Amino acid sequence: MPEWLLQSENYAPRADKDTFLSKSILALLGLISKIRAQDTAAAPTRYAVNPFFKLVFTLTLAVLVSLTREFAFLFAALTYVLLYLCVQPIRTLRRVLATGAAVTAFTFVILLPTALGGNGYSLTMMPVKVFTAVTAVNLLSHTSRWSELLSALKRFRAPDMLVFVLDITIRYIVMLGETTLESLYALKLRSVGRNTRKYNALSGVAGSLFLRSRQMAEDTHSAMLCRGFTGEYRVYQKFSFTLGDAGYILVNAGLILLYIYITRDANAGIG
Amino acid sequence: MFVLENVSYSYEENVALQGVTVTIERGESVCLLGPNGCGKSTFLRLLCGVIAPDGGTYAFDGWSVTRKSLADNKAAKAFHQRVGFVFQNSDTQLFCADVYEEVAFGPRQMGLGEDEVERRVTDCLRLLGLQDFARRSPYHLSGGEKRKTAIAAMLAMNPDALVLDEPMNGLDPKTERWLAGFLLELHSAGKTLITSTHDLELAQEISRRSILFDGNHTIAADLPTNLLMRDMSLLRRVNLVDRYYHQHRDGGHTHFHTHPLQRESPEISGDISDSEED
Repeated sequence: MPEWLLQSENYAPRADKDTFLSKSILALLGLISKIRAQDTAAAPTRYAVNPFFKLVFTLTLAVLVSLTREFAFLFAALTYVLLYLCVQPIRTLRRVLATGAAVTAFTFVILLPTALGGNGYSLTMMPVKVFTAVTAVNLLSHTSRWSELLSALKRFRAPDMLVFVLDITIRYIVMLGETTLESLYALKLRSVGRNTRKYNALSGVAGSLFLRSRQMAEDTHSAMLCRGFTGEYRVYQKFSFTLGDAGYILVNAGLILLYIYITRDANAGIG
Repeated sequence: MFVLENVSYSYEENVALQGVTVTIERGESVCLLGPNGCGKSTFLRLLCGVIAPDGGTYAFDGWSVTRKSLADNKAAKAFHQRVGFVFQNSDTQLFCADVYEEVAFGPRQMGLGEDEVERRVTDCLRLLGLQDFARRSPYHLSGGEKRKTAIAAMLAMNPDALVLDEPMNGLDPKTERWLAGFLLELHSAGKTLITSTHDLELAQEISRRSILFDGNHTIAADLPTNLLMRDMSLLRRVNLVDRYYHQHRDGGHTHFHTHPLQRESPEISGDISDSEED
């Protein structure tokens, strides 16, 4: 054993700024926990709605909300979205509302000059449209697993390979995030002094991550070949229909009919 | 040196540690045992200040380790120099261009002169048998060599305590034996060793004290290692051994083993005492 290793180190570090490292770690932790939370969403129940229906009707609702010029339909859609939001867990409710409120506030600020030009209609209509559409899409994202939504894409005749690539990307983002996080932790633990070349160390982490991800990609491909992968990927899914689906379709079909009725009525009025 | 009282930690809603109370003195060698997912790695991360406790208190040599204190850049760096951590996956720990640079990273951070840095790097590479790999990229090393490089990189900072997360994972038997011997040497040199492992024989070899975690993320036992190894029912309860696992004594040397091919044999599957003799 060398002499220096037998003695206690008398070391007093100099202060150094490494907020970039702490911020990167926090941002990554947030991202990983969000994706994990997605993956561990509650298992489907008897009243759970098939993600395919959710995807179809959410997109339809977003389109109808964008197209409508009638406050009556807009407020009906908003009421539906808010009611749906009310039955969500408090955590989901908070997150969805926070995003919706931020985007709506931003839209409101952007549209403020139009009010000065005398266009009060847009100032009222647009933020409500944005809030309704963003909240509906956010609800879809928070109440469905991403993997389920990707499988639902299959019903839209999306190519299998596209679904596969998206699916595997989401899965491996978590793995990449975890590996990056470990590397950043290691860098933080070993950065015990003043580092004037922080970005060099960070580029080292990025480089080693790139090499490892390439290796992992090759390994995954080899494993797939060993399991009989021939270059074609098929998404197999069982289509189920529950009470929840029936209720969901009924409400959304009602909204679509309401849109058609109100729009036709308005057009007839104009005529 | 390490004093934890009623410490708890959770990842989002998943509890990783709860009600953990432990004191580890300077110069001790302690093994952490427990099944997968019982919180050993989280406990080690907490000891090293990678994470701070959600509840309870943790003090290192009287310095309270909290989220706030870890945000104090200067104090946190002094703490990280004194507690070295070897990650379970060495790949994540190595990010420099070659092995020499990897080992020199810590001493250079500490502001040591280039002569001293070279001395430390040379000593560490010699200690771990890595002299011939000094200019090799860590990426091209074998698993055992990567682990040795990670240990060398940590040792070069001369920490008081060494925390190792399953250091034998993925090593060949010869490297395993060598590493166990090396850890013993470090312990004799006065370093505090905290090692997590599933390997009961390693625990017996390198530590006098073992802390056993159970599936409830709490400490099920904190005993001298030899006593813990005799409590087969406890080891079985926490899924560290199966009911075929038993001890033989051979000329004063006690070792554990199983008879996997005789699983259905009535002599073996019957009543197995906690300590059988050949």
